[in-house]
Amino acid sequence: MKTAQEFRAGQVAIINGAPWVIQKAEFNKSGRNAAVVKMKLKNLLNGSATETVFKADDKLEPVILERKEVTYSYFADPLYVFMDADFNQYEIEKDDLEGVLTFIEDGMTDVCEAVFYNDKVISVELPTTIVREIVYTEPSVRGDTSGKVMKTARLKNGAELQVSAFCEIGDSIEIDTRTGEYKSRVKA
Amino acid sequence: MKPLWDIFCSVVDNYGDIGVTWRLARQLVAEHGQAVRLWVDDLHSLARLCPEVDPDVAQQVQRGVEVRRWALPWQPVEPGDVVIEAFACHLPGEFAAAMTAKSRPPLWLNLEYLSAEDWVGGCHGLPSFQSNGLQKFFFFPGFTSETGGLLREQGLIERRRAFQADPAAQAAFLQSIGVQRRPGARLISLFAYENAALGSWLEALAAGTQPTQLLVPEGRVLRDLERWLSTCGLAAHDQYKRGALHVQVIPFVEQDAYDRLLWCCDFNAVRGEDSFVRAQWAGRPMLWHIYRQEENAHWLKLDAFLALYRKALPPAAGEALGALWHAWNAEEDMGPAWQGLQREWQVLAEHAEHWCREQAAQTDIAARLVLFYTNWL
Repeated sequence: MKTAQEFRAGQVAIINGAPWVIQKAEFNKSGRNAAVVKMKLKNLLNGSATETVFKADDKLEPVILERKEVTYSYFADPLYVFMDADFNQYEIEKDDLEGVLTFIEDGMTDVCEAVFYNDKVISVELPTTIVREIVYTEPSVRGDTSGKVMKTARLKNGAELQVSAFCEIGDSIEIDTRTGEYKSRVKA
Repeated sequence: MKPLWDIFCSVVDNYGDIGVTWRLARQLVAEHGQAVRLWVDDLHSLARLCPEVDPDVAQQVQRGVEVRRWALPWQPVEPGDVVIEAFACHLPGEFAAAMTAKSRPPLWLNLEYLSAEDWVGGCHGLPSFQSNGLQKFFFFPGFTSETGGLLREQGLIERRRAFQADPAAQAAFLQSIGVQRRPGARLISLFAYENAALGSWLEALAAGTQPTQLLVPEGRVLRDLERWLSTCGLAAHDQYKRGALHVQVIPFVEQDAYDRLLWCCDFNAVRGEDSFVRAQWAGRPMLWHIYRQEENAHWLKLDAFLALYRKALPPAAGEALGALWHAWNAEEDMGPAWQGLQREWQVLAEHAEHWCREQAAQTDIAARLVLFYTNWL
């Protein structure tokens, strides 16, 4: 058994006897050191979706799933297509990528993990750290090199996130895919 | 048959858990005709808020609420129609099992902590699948229509306004707790956790041009007050004068009396959750000492509330209020922030009433809970 806060998007838990893939998991501190996890779930047997919330320390039964290394290939509306080393293609719907969709972009070379349930891809997990290029941000704030002052930056696929104020257009940055947050600027 | 509500309250520390659940239980009985069993694992805490409670009696009826000691080992009891676990406490295993055994299991709710953070609205009312096959629903209090609202009794604001318009009623109440209002003095109440910033605030009050009468209910902040006064063993009715500041320790009072204390004061320093909400209903400027959390999570909550509360304030007043609250919670020098607040006093006083009116226009927690139950049926 794992606690609700240990589950990540793409993982599967057995809830009331049925397997549910976690499409999105949001952790929040509620009060006096207690916390809750809001999850968007999809039932792998009948495809129904639901939103739910757990206490962070609620126990859920995880399902061990088959995984395979893949890379992103292309988007064929409404499906995202990934490919393994043997050139097998795997299609996955947008909703099943919700946790990582922000970081999917054409030309990305990250080695991802496709997650299978009953031979069907149910999610794709990105590496914990990925590198992306900033295509637009406001000009740097002179003098601030602390990294504490943040500003908005846009990536190639249009996703936006907060980055250190000294980052510039064209800079590559490291992102933690578990939190979706900027980690650091990659030195050229 | 009246629907029966089982409310479980585990007293962890202070009076927040029991304060909220006791208020809710009373309101469900008095205003919504529900039957309520309030399970409390520390009846001594409840007795501080309701002196009629006998902490040595395991089962008693107080103000229409059946008060039960939550004791272990658990004695079997048939669950009611609605079960509330307050503040993420864990139900007794035997009781949870009895819930599943009912032909129609009860509505199971987790009444969560109050927060002004954005995510709360997205979690309020959501189900949670439990390993025993039941669904539990998360009920989040809050300040917006997407949340469960705030505890507020019917007619509270009208009663408060009538009281504030009646100097004789205020004087009589203050006299009942041993206080005589000093002419020309600003009246402030202080209810807080231990706070190293207290000394600097008291220094500022003592050095001020306007006289201040500070009323401090017995509680945890007295140790810091003793330190500043260079005394020890402070008790109710002790009084001290330092410059423009007159300090008086008052008895710890039950909930309704505490409301009237807040209504009498020009400014209220409050803490945690229950007194924080009551200070908002008082319609007076306030200072919030938030419950400290691991990884500084309380700062997000403090700033989320400030963001909401200051939305309709002019920037200067909003900044003055934010500076004071930040200094208090960071336990930093309160002097400059207090001076800054004086310049915005009138604006903040008007805003406190405006905020109260705005919040009071929303449906209160008890009514929303009853509606939630009705819809669930």
